[in-house]
Amino acid sequence: MAGGNGTTRRSGARTPKRRLGVVLVDPLPVVRAGLALLVGDRPDMKVLAEVGSADEAMEVLSRIRLERVVVLVGLGLDGDHDAHWLIRSIRRRFPTLAVLACGAKADAGTISRALFMGADGYVDKNLDPVRFVESLRTAATGEMVLAGPPTDWVGQIAEGVRRQHDIESRLTAREREVLRVAAEGLTARQIAERLGVRERTVTTHLGRIYGKLGVGGRVAAIRVASMSGLVTVGALE
Amino acid sequence: MGSRRRPARPERARGTLAPVTPPGEPPAPARVLIVEDHAVVRGVLRLACDEEPGLEVVADVADGASALEACRTLRPDVMVLDLSLPGELQGLDVARRVRAEGRPIRILVLTGRTDDEAVFESIRAGVDGFLDKSAGVGEFAEALRRVVAGERVFRPEHERGAVAELGRFVRGFRGSAGPSSGFTQREREILEYLTVGLSVKQVAKRLGLSPRTVETHIAKVYRKLGVANRVQAISRAASLGLVEIDRPGASDRPGGRR
Repeated sequence: MAGGNGTTRRSGARTPKRRLGVVLVDPLPVVRAGLALLVGDRPDMKVLAEVGSADEAMEVLSRIRLERVVVLVGLGLDGDHDAHWLIRSIRRRFPTLAVLACGAKADAGTISRALFMGADGYVDKNLDPVRFVESLRTAATGEMVLAGPPTDWVGQIAEGVRRQHDIESRLTAREREVLRVAAEGLTARQIAERLGVRERTVTTHLGRIYGKLGVGGRVAAIRVASMSGLVTVGALE
Repeated sequence: MGSRRRPARPERARGTLAPVTPPGEPPAPARVLIVEDHAVVRGVLRLACDEEPGLEVVADVADGASALEACRTLRPDVMVLDLSLPGELQGLDVARRVRAEGRPIRILVLTGRTDDEAVFESIRAGVDGFLDKSAGVGEFAEALRRVVAGERVFRPEHERGAVAELGRFVRGFRGSAGPSSGFTQREREILEYLTVGLSVKQVAKRLGLSPRTVETHIAKVYRKLGVANRVQAISRAASLGLVEIDRPGASDRPGGRR
């Protein structure tokens, strides 16, 4: 029988003083509602917030004071900033929060991208609810979580991470930025406007990028970057 | 060396686990290659396989080069592979080469190594099953049967170990968005000192601060990490990649990964 948050279930069993705080980030209200019910049912967990966008998530997280927190990031986030942006941003600004990427039958490439961005693990929405919640607890302890995909995917996931690292380390931060904006389909001029530099600078950067990636032009460069997860073309799921 | 070669079998469909046999005849047994440098263990494995009607040992070898040679010439269906082999070619090297050559051979690792890295690297190398030598002969035979049948065989604790190792592997690559950005230089220094076991007094002396100040910093670090004591702090910091703890038997990590 489930007790409400903070109530005594039966004599002798008390809710732990320090509950695990959970922040739910997913674009679908129904998914958030379902997860909230699931988590709220546990006496040792508490839903701190549920939001539908990356920006809202960062806003909410900046106000959280609880010490043990897991942020569940749905990979389908869209809008101004996607799930990868959110995972990277949380890593940078709130280093002690555990981040769990959450997807629906994501493949090894998608998972490796999420992990490379900084997620502490991946949990699949198709998992049975008990195991799903268990993975939140595991993530909070700092252990890597891979809940849902078969274990022998660790090989491909590791390869994906290594590949992304190789590509990333070849380009400077500025070059990566230019490439990301270029992947939105803008002209060199528009890229220049966005980044606040001259058009000439952008074309120079692009030229260097093509050389480093060993490609002949923009389309190929974006393809390479997309395959390694450096940029995301289109929706994540 | 103990390798007994049988006459070559007639050609049959490769890449299939259930070869086509004429109706009325039992399916041909799976052909097993044993790669194990300890003679006694090799002998036991061979006996265990001989007991199984569906298995036939085509060769047993004691080093990596012979294993690769046997794979090429004898084309076994499944290989029982020890990770620690004498000479240049280790078990993992054999697995990687075999996979690189595109051979449709199932691989069951049977090893004395139980560390997370062994399982992780084995899975990365593309093996189909992992068993450590604490397993009994019965468990071995069962695992081999299942691998031959096309299953992937891993014990739950090995699966957990592989995932944990994946965690360390991934953290080794995350340079740009590191967790250290949430801590001041001073806090990171103190955390490092705590990790190597210095007392508050020793840390204070090293940094030229009063013990009181050091304790204030430590309290802040604990709060940021969400922990209550030094042991938890070190553990949490290590899992965040903030500090490195020397683990016995661990290989060099940052940048040292293949």
